[in-house]
Amino acid sequence: MYTLDKFKKFVSFLLEYDTSLVLSPINGELWVVKALFVEHYRDEKTTIPYLETMSDFLDFLQQFNGISGNSLKFSHDLHNFDFQLPNLNFPKLVWINIGGLLLLQHRFEGGSPFPKLSTNKPKQDLFELLERPKINMKQLYSHEILLERNFGIQPGLLDALIRRPTARTVLSKQRAQVKTKKIPFFTVCNDSNHNHILASVGLNKKEYGQYGDNSFDKQTIPESIVHQRIANSKGMLSEEIYKCSFEKIHFLPIINNHTDLNLGDCSYLDTCHKMKTCRYLHYFTLNPNSKPKGGSEPEEYSEYTIGDCFSESFREILAPQWINCDIRYLPFSILGKFAAIISDPAWDIHMSLPYGTCKDDELLSLPMSELQDEGIIMLWVTGRSIEIGRRALLKWGYRISDEMIWVKLNQLKRTIVTGRTGHWLNHSKEHLLVGLKGNPIWLNRKIDTDVVVSGTRETSRKPDEFYDIVERLVGVHSRKLEIFGRDHNTRPGWLTIGNQLQGVSLCEPEVKRKYESYIQSTNKSN
Amino acid sequence: MYTYNKFGSRNSSSSNSNSTKSSTLQSVQSNHRIEKSSGKNTTQVELDYCNNYVHSGIPSTKYIRNVSNPVEGYPKLAKLHQLKRQQIKKHALKPYGYRVSTDRIVPTLNKWIEVYGLKFDVIMIGALIENQFILPILNSIPIYKLCSKPGFLFIWSTTQKIQELTKLLNNDNFNKKFRRSEELIFLPIDRNSPYYPGDYGSGDLESLPLFERQQWHCWMCITGTVRRSTDNHLIHCNVDTDLQIETPTSKKNANAVPEAIYRVAENFSNSNRRLHLIPSKLGYDTPIKLRPGWVIMGPDVLINNFDPVTYNEELYSKSMIKYKQTGTGGQASGGYNNVTTQFLVPQTTEIEDLRPKSPTIPAK
Ligand SMILES: [Zn+2]
Ligand SMILES: [Zn+2]
Repeated sequence: MYTLDKFKKFVSFLLEYDTSLVLSPINGELWVVKALFVEHYRDEKTTIPYLETMSDFLDFLQQFNGISGNSLKFSHDLHNFDFQLPNLNFPKLVWINIGGLLLLQHRFEGGSPFPKLSTNKPKQDLFELLERPKINMKQLYSHEILLERNFGIQPGLLDALIRRPTARTVLSKQRAQVKTKKIPFFTVCNDSNHNHILASVGLNKKEYGQYGDNSFDKQTIPESIVHQRIANSKGMLSEEIYKCSFEKIHFLPIINNHTDLNLGDCSYLDTCHKMKTCRYLHYFTLNPNSKPKGGSEPEEYSEYTIGDCFSESFREILAPQWINCDIRYLPFSILGKFAAIISDPAWDIHMSLPYGTCKDDELLSLPMSELQDEGIIMLWVTGRSIEIGRRALLKWGYRISDEMIWVKLNQLKRTIVTGRTGHWLNHSKEHLLVGLKGNPIWLNRKIDTDVVVSGTRETSRKPDEFYDIVERLVGVHSRKLEIFGRDHNTRPGWLTIGNQLQGVSLCEPEVKRKYESYIQSTNKSN
Repeated sequence: MYTYNKFGSRNSSSSNSNSTKSSTLQSVQSNHRIEKSSGKNTTQVELDYCNNYVHSGIPSTKYIRNVSNPVEGYPKLAKLHQLKRQQIKKHALKPYGYRVSTDRIVPTLNKWIEVYGLKFDVIMIGALIENQFILPILNSIPIYKLCSKPGFLFIWSTTQKIQELTKLLNNDNFNKKFRRSEELIFLPIDRNSPYYPGDYGSGDLESLPLFERQQWHCWMCITGTVRRSTDNHLIHCNVDTDLQIETPTSKKNANAVPEAIYRVAENFSNSNRRLHLIPSKLGYDTPIKLRPGWVIMGPDVLINNFDPVTYNEELYSKSMIKYKQTGTGGQASGGYNNVTTQFLVPQTTEIEDLRPKSPTIPAK
């Protein structure tokens, strides 16, 4: 048995020599290690009598490993080694656990078994530990460095150049601004205080209930009356709220006897059919009653740009035209060519029809290629038909250039998030595929964005904003066609076809003539 | 015989000026926007955000009033979102990252599948960057082995890449096993957003977009059979919508994928094994933030702490385990005894009461 004191010496010896013991020229040879250890303490005149023989030393090492948690690793086990026999494979020291030895030394010096963490040190953010982006370090080679060194192009310049809108885009944006009549635009007041106070003076007072409470729908009160009531109560309102009432849109909560405020808003809001019994909250839209500034007429202009009509500045827009017909049988050749087509087909979602006629197939087989030499087509699609729509456009000879969405807003100008509007997720938007045919250089690209935000109207009725967008894209005088349109889709400058329209109205003589002769020929054959 | 051009024939324009029906540009544009709202004796002014954009350059998304809190006004739905979030958090595995170079992704996944038998119920692929190597990766990963059945894929795409992806999803690897089920859209709030897509096109006029691009597409695909009416332990439908808009609050911490879309996936699938594969480098501007409940894999993942064995152990301790007898044939997922193990986020009765259900109860 050896005393701790003896091991102390060995620990400091090991820490002093460190890994050099396992490296060349010592190579962890145990007899060298023993000799070095004895030599190391020779000066102190404390000979190390306990390490007489090699066998003593091996014994010493094993005990040492016992207390140091096996801090020393040998090439083979010391236990079963018979050093008496001539053996070339004498065990060697191969690894020293310096950390373990340091801990051991710490304990010899009276340290506690567990190192204490300093408590005042603030916790480090994990991100601090991660490598920082090497901003200051110059790379030896990169495209940017090459460009800068050889061509004098600053980093980021190319990217900025690519991202910068082209002069053409900038100019067509400016032109669109001049040519588009500015429509009055109001913002919505988000101050709930305003809305509640205006509602209480303009809508929810007891004396306003005309014919007893519930039979009377507050939603139908004319706005002018509400504004009048607010004006009458002017004295009770702060200047700020009164002024705001004719500058911004307010949504006044309608409080009826049956309204339960804890339930929150009605999913259907102003389109709710059970307004008189529905316990959810509904709102009255109070539009500002002042004329907004800036709703100016478009400026008179007289300029010609590539793709414009020669008589652009004084030409009048064609009256709305429409043909009630079964689209499957109408010969498209009588309609002529169009710069833009919009179509909102009633997609047949139930694919598994037992009989062969599938509306999707019929739609795909329409001779759409006859309608355009070059131009754009916009196709409304939903759910499963997105895929069919993409296929259809390719089949008709278009490339899919853009995919637009219509973000549907409710009365409160919020997206629609309730009411199980889709199969897996709720649907807050609809998709519109945009196909491009030929190489129409006359398009005014990038004036609008591919996201259109607009309120919902009757079921499946799409926003009119898309007509304006098309007109800005192809020009107001270009011929434009809507397929599967209804009465509310007829519009100046557009020809609408579909089987839900009232009769026929045509003013382009050539279309008129060809349509009449087509009708005559079908009558004859019947 | 003359041909039509895009303005119509000369003949038609001359007759037009005689036509009594014709109207001038001014009257056309001013009339159509004022809508008579039904049942009211007032005319309602509809806000025209497109017109406003042309004149002011302010994108219409700026005016949507529930961007910062999409469920505003719906306390029941807000409560449901809150409860689901708590429940998902409670059972989420710790955030795991696995850093691997792009070319090692497929071999690594193969090893996970073959050696450790790993499968995932929700697999998201890609991030909000223009050029990601999604196509080659998708083409070569053993997705049908990696994805459990039923399982859900979320694949990110730019508008340009949609058609290539469409082609791919119809190829043999997918073999129409994955049904395209929803098309999610993520919108950045404005041009200054780190998520704003650049629309370079590829330089030539033909591929130039017609419109300024603002959207990111994320396709949700489903494999296997799930029924929205009966499989409420597996999925909860109609909790979220297919449109997510960037909340303007945390601009500095742009993540590779917006939190909103992770949440859509978590709210929809009640399964606990979620993998997010980001095949390409993203750069310093869009760091990948690890997320509890997800294994995120890719060359730019900062923390590398994933180990299949630990993961499996944690999975058993954190999930509600359900054994499901799979159908005849014994092909694919079930293993030799035709039993599939489902690792689920257990649901509470409160969540069950609040969640939107199939038509038995009228919607509100
Ligand atoms: Zn106000
Ligand atoms: Zn209601």
